[in-house]
Amino acid sequence: MIARLCSSDGRLLARVIYLAHRFGCAYTSVAGHELDGTYSGLLHFSGPSDALARLSKQIDKLNHAEKETL
Amino acid sequence: MAHERTERNGAQLVLDTLLAEGVHTVFGYPGGAIMPLYDALFGHALRHVLVRHEAAAAFAAGGFARASGSVGVCIATSGPGATNLVTGIADAMMDSVPLVAITGQVRSNLMGTDAFQEADVVAITHAITKRNFVVRDVNELRATLHAAFRCARGPRPGPVLVDIPSDVLKAISSEGADERVGGSLGLPVASEAAIAACIELLRGARRPVAIVGGGARSSNAIDSYREFCRRVRLPHTATINGLGCGAPGDPLFLGMLGMHGWKAANLAVAGADLVLAFGIRFDDRITGPPNRFATNAKIVHADIDASEFGKTVRIDVELHGDLQATLAALNRALEGVTIPRFDRWANEVADFGGPLPRDRGDRERLSATDVLDALFAALPDDAIVTTDVGQHQMWSAQRARPSHARNFITSAGLGSMGFGFPAGIGATFAANGRTVVAIVGDGGFQMSLPELATVRRYNVPVKILLIDNRNLGMVRQWQQLFYDRRYSATNLSDNPDFCAIARAYGVEASSVDHTSNLAEAMRHFLAHSSAMLLHCACYPEENVWPMVPTDAAMHEAIEAAG
Repeated sequence: MIARLCSSDGRLLARVIYLAHRFGCAYTSVAGHELDGTYSGLLHFSGPSDALARLSKQIDKLNHAEKETL
Repeated sequence: MAHERTERNGAQLVLDTLLAEGVHTVFGYPGGAIMPLYDALFGHALRHVLVRHEAAAAFAAGGFARASGSVGVCIATSGPGATNLVTGIADAMMDSVPLVAITGQVRSNLMGTDAFQEADVVAITHAITKRNFVVRDVNELRATLHAAFRCARGPRPGPVLVDIPSDVLKAISSEGADERVGGSLGLPVASEAAIAACIELLRGARRPVAIVGGGARSSNAIDSYREFCRRVRLPHTATINGLGCGAPGDPLFLGMLGMHGWKAANLAVAGADLVLAFGIRFDDRITGPPNRFATNAKIVHADIDASEFGKTVRIDVELHGDLQATLAALNRALEGVTIPRFDRWANEVADFGGPLPRDRGDRERLSATDVLDALFAALPDDAIVTTDVGQHQMWSAQRARPSHARNFITSAGLGSMGFGFPAGIGATFAANGRTVVAIVGDGGFQMSLPELATVRRYNVPVKILLIDNRNLGMVRQWQQLFYDRRYSATNLSDNPDFCAIARAYGVEASSVDHTSNLAEAMRHFLAHSSAMLLHCACYPEENVWPMVPTDAAMHEAIEAAG
């Protein structure tokens, strides 16, 4: 599974990696960069399909959470 | 005497921003890094409640938030003060309670040096907050706090932590007068197609059951839910956080479902052909093994949080949106269609149950369930009950019939012992004179005993009903049933004299140890105008029934020890 992150919070990448491990998934590659205060990440995960589906929803939620706040 | 100031530092900015957010009461405990904030509190209009342990600050703020629907605020210093908040923050996360935790941090130039009382609390709380922030510039403080409150309120409420280094609290802000930033968020709305699909399933159903959870409380959807139940006239049940969402006295309400739920509720869900779930998480304590949950039913799930759909059980129709709007849309849609009558099913379901099974092992000594029956029979309709965690919590949830979901407050998801008493203190500050009873066990109460000093200092009129069975009762019950009666570390037969402790703090107390004295003791307890402890010395072997063993389906409850 490929996940994309975009946030003003540079720690979101770490949060997603912790979540993945909690769900029994693991990342196979991680790339991130910062531009004008926005952090972008591209992550590849492997794991059981149901766990990846849950992870994907959680990532959507985290991506959306910033819009709720700002 | 208040000290007038002509310019605002970060600490004053924090307090003024709290006022601008509508906060009038905060719960906290001072310490080194947060001292500038406590200096600003001196003479400030904000009411600060000094607890005796930071954990109680988080629980009290949670109790306040749960009772009022407003954001609860707790304050602690850096390091140990902040880490002591952690359980209360996790508790708020699990039960979707709006909470803002403000922590002091060591000076900015010391962060990362293992300074005295330094802890990376934003890293520690990353997984148990909706968001958290470190504020490094005093001119970002106000906007960050407003963002924290917006985030805490929703769409799905939860905890937010704002960590503020002491130099930022002391720095002078160049910002002008406060203008509350941002408005209400646009909430997702369930699609018309999903609403229509739900109505279609309802039209074809013969054995529908509704389940309501804490989401209805969070989204103020209680009136809409009651209207839905009235229109459809279907049997309905509730998770522990959904108690009080249904209309009081509704004969179609089956009681709480789940591991210690009413038999009728669990059997109804097991036998249903349609489950309508409103604002619930399908937690393992209500589903049992997910592949054995409601196996004959289509499942409709309404929730504000899309990540909840399919998390544990399969869902046939997702109603993603604000629950109040979803239920309003369903109610509107029902006006134009004919729904089958479910009277036969409702009658069948009513026959599933019967009274709650109880142990009757020792008639000579006081039974905890007798105590709770007496309490709930005597409580005013608008009373607020908080509970701690364990057997008394389940007995209470089985028996409570709160008139509103904000009137039954418990640590449901996290199951935090030590919650009930401080949460009761917090709820009292939101109760507007209504009766508040904190039901606690002897284990959890001993995790929060110092808050008797808080009760005394502020004359908090909370009633403390202590179910003392001289055991960590729920663990003892599991040891009896599933661990071959090997009672490891659950015996509390050396409990202290709780009444003497309460009196030492200046709190009235009395004790009851026999059923014959219970009615008078309860009458005196509830009539007392200020705080009071009623110590109930109950026999220790009483268990919570029914009980669904781990890995059993919800209709496979046991009702007595084998």
